[in-house]
Amino acid sequence: MAQELAVVGTPVLRLGLAEKVRGEARYTADLKRPGMLYGRVLRSPHAHARIVRIDTSEAERVPGVHALLTYRDVPQVRLDADLLPLDPQLRFVGDEVALVAAESEAIAEDALRLIRVEYEVLPAVFDAEEALQPGAPQVHPQGNLVGGRTLQLERGSVAQGFAEAARVFEGSFHTQMHAPVGMETRAALAEWDGDRLTVWKTSRAVHASDRQTIARVLGLPLEQVRVICPNMGGGFGNKDEGRLAVLVALLARRAGRPVRLEYSRAEEFVAGRNRQEAHMHLQVGIRADGTPTAIQLQATMNAGAFVASGMNVTRRVGQGALYLYTCPNARFEGMTVYTNRPAGGSFRGLGAPLGHFALEVTIDQICAALGVDPLDYRLQHHVTAAGQPGQRRTPPDQILPDEPVEGGVPFSSNELRACLLAGADRIGWRQRRQPHGTTTGIVRRGLGVAMGVYKGGIGREAEAEVRITPAGRVVLAVGGVDVGQGSTTVLAQIAAEALGVPMDRIDVVMADTGRTPPAHVTAGSSTTISTGTAVKEAAEDARRQLLARLDTIPEPSDPGVGRRDDIVGRARVTAGSREYLTNAFAAHFAEVEVNMQTGRVRVLRYVAAHDSGRIVHPRLAENQVSGGVLQFLGIALREELYLDRRRGVTLNANFLEHKSTSIVDFPPIEVLFPAAPDPGGPYGAKGLGEPPVVPVFAAVANAVANATGVWLRDVPFTPQRVLQAIHEQGKGMG
Amino acid sequence: MNHTQSAVELNPGPQRTPLHLEVNGQSRPVDIEPRTTLLDVLREQLDLTGAKRACDRGECGACTVLVDDQPMYACHLLALQARARKIVTIEGLAERADFRPLLEAFVANDAGQCGFCTPGFAVATYAALRRYPDADAQQLRWELVGHICRCNAYENIVAAACDAGKKTVDSG
Repeated sequence: MAQELAVVGTPVLRLGLAEKVRGEARYTADLKRPGMLYGRVLRSPHAHARIVRIDTSEAERVPGVHALLTYRDVPQVRLDADLLPLDPQLRFVGDEVALVAAESEAIAEDALRLIRVEYEVLPAVFDAEEALQPGAPQVHPQGNLVGGRTLQLERGSVAQGFAEAARVFEGSFHTQMHAPVGMETRAALAEWDGDRLTVWKTSRAVHASDRQTIARVLGLPLEQVRVICPNMGGGFGNKDEGRLAVLVALLARRAGRPVRLEYSRAEEFVAGRNRQEAHMHLQVGIRADGTPTAIQLQATMNAGAFVASGMNVTRRVGQGALYLYTCPNARFEGMTVYTNRPAGGSFRGLGAPLGHFALEVTIDQICAALGVDPLDYRLQHHVTAAGQPGQRRTPPDQILPDEPVEGGVPFSSNELRACLLAGADRIGWRQRRQPHGTTTGIVRRGLGVAMGVYKGGIGREAEAEVRITPAGRVVLAVGGVDVGQGSTTVLAQIAAEALGVPMDRIDVVMADTGRTPPAHVTAGSSTTISTGTAVKEAAEDARRQLLARLDTIPEPSDPGVGRRDDIVGRARVTAGSREYLTNAFAAHFAEVEVNMQTGRVRVLRYVAAHDSGRIVHPRLAENQVSGGVLQFLGIALREELYLDRRRGVTLNANFLEHKSTSIVDFPPIEVLFPAAPDPGGPYGAKGLGEPPVVPVFAAVANAVANATGVWLRDVPFTPQRVLQAIHEQGKGMG
Repeated sequence: MNHTQSAVELNPGPQRTPLHLEVNGQSRPVDIEPRTTLLDVLREQLDLTGAKRACDRGECGACTVLVDDQPMYACHLLALQARARKIVTIEGLAERADFRPLLEAFVANDAGQCGFCTPGFAVATYAALRRYPDADAQQLRWELVGHICRCNAYENIVAAACDAGKKTVDSG
């Protein structure tokens, strides 16, 4: 590509980072308003219960308490199909019972202890399989299978594909419930001015979720509700639900004063939205030469008490099975099941890392059985730029859906091969490769590879506004949220490039419904590609208007001379295409050391090669990939939320026992971007936020299998689980 | 305010206490309950919000401040315990000339993403470099082990700390 770019692709400094280092950057919980009160939540001690009686009179008398809310005080308007602002039925330990606003958090907590609640305790269910049995406790009246049916996606006919197969490989896999653990806990601050409401909130969707939900539930016209997300201390696909904003707004209205409510860390673990536990069963049919004829993945997802975006999470479990290998017949079945666990939600990668784990480990088992090198197998069978075989079903004049199951649809670009080759070269695959489990001794080393495919962020409508002021500043306004990934910087780069101005002329306004055009939830690795396209077009629009003004030399008497109005460029786009799909790809390589006596897995090296098209900001992109891999290495090896299976109490709702990755745990991640610019995205960019996390579990598991001959099917790979697998698979040292 | 008989009985512990804290070189009057942490006083009464409340139980380092030049978790100290001790927050450090190399190194190395843990890391790095000006990457890593960054910008933080160390040494 000969396109010369001045700003895109250069490592400008991350916008706002200096303010963050100096402690000046304000996050939601750093904000204060005159007369502001502090809110706290009373949470259910039971996994499933009905409130029989609730008496707040004593709590109301505590000096400094200004308002209380119970289910009797809030509109019984649904936030989601399964969620009320406050509900007399409680569905997990930690579900919201009541709220207090007081002059300090300590006073609010004192008051919570004085709320007398009589509960009727109901039978509870925590396991998804049990919840599907006849006679299981019903978490919601509509039944425990969300939507009443299994999600089924099929290309070709797997029945036919398995009939054609020479061999069928299969296995069961399990991944854990864990928490996303943003460093910033959820928080909201609500302030009323007459019947106008302003809410500051940790949010990935100020326009699409919070403002809409607040207006609908409180019965306010949309124009009277403004929602702002200031700096956000980590999103990771989480923090998108509207319940908190609605409750704090109601509390502030009742108190007649602004109220700020901040979750404690324990609340964030329990009442934030977690990663759903998954049970998966995978079958792969192959010809004698290894060519896949059918791939089928079935998943049962434990959604917890509320489904939120859980159906999307489930759908993405199938992504690897449906798209990663060229195969005419592929099928995914997903069940999403209510239980009385803390509610699940969306988290980085949605279900994709889970399904990829099952698929990529099974592929390595096939390689081991056939005596084929896993790298060679992948080079031969990975999906190519041609896409999947089969007949296109989307009418030719329609934009392709973001995740079509059908074949006959090519990719805009697919550089899996370049990723595999670059990664293998970097880690030294050809020199180090040994057949599975051939080494001996207590500490054994191995190399593993796994690939990933991820929807590249297309298919969503996105808007942007680029304003050129008479003073020569450029104000870029978009409604999405910089959750910490650096979209402020990347979108400013795109605007600077399109306008031909330096970065320091650009001011960015994001995530404020009062000052930005509407936006969907910031999700699906879509900001750079979807919003980036809108920013580029809005900037080009502004530039055209500017040039048009210069087209004619005005007379001195022309009232336009010395005009002081802004030039405003606008764009609304739907990134996507009628001809091709845009996906991001990755190939990851891990080298690990396994101690056969302790079961401890140590990661020695990790190489992540990514096809995300043109990299708009090399250093931010590297930070994003490295951070995503490190985050998921921690999840691969140890993070899990433990639940008391009789009571449903979360046992480790804190940093120490949930065990996030620390600064001394893993080696530096070696990040490679071997791909060329994509022909579709803005300046050739594709999505990057989530792809880094997709192959991680499988890369580690395959490296462990290479070292030991033991297959891991249960994430996280704690020493206990590794030892158990060694023992069960007869690979112990005797 | 409506002090009913039962409410007064319910009010736990001793009464509020006026107190002076020395924060960023100034004596600041505050009004606390004995149970109030140093972190909550800094954030809510003095509006010094650079120290973040991420865990409130001494597990993550996001609230780190200097107490008599030692990096400490402000969530793990009662305000009463900080009496007559020199407290310096990230806002105070940011005013100092010798903080500048560290700030520049953090920005140049992209040593943060969402930035929520960043002030805590910056305070701890400053303290580590003052104590061990010649520290290498491995030692700095262990000096910062009490801090969590969930964006996992760790390698850039280590690189920034090394860079800042060199700059401090070079200019000093």
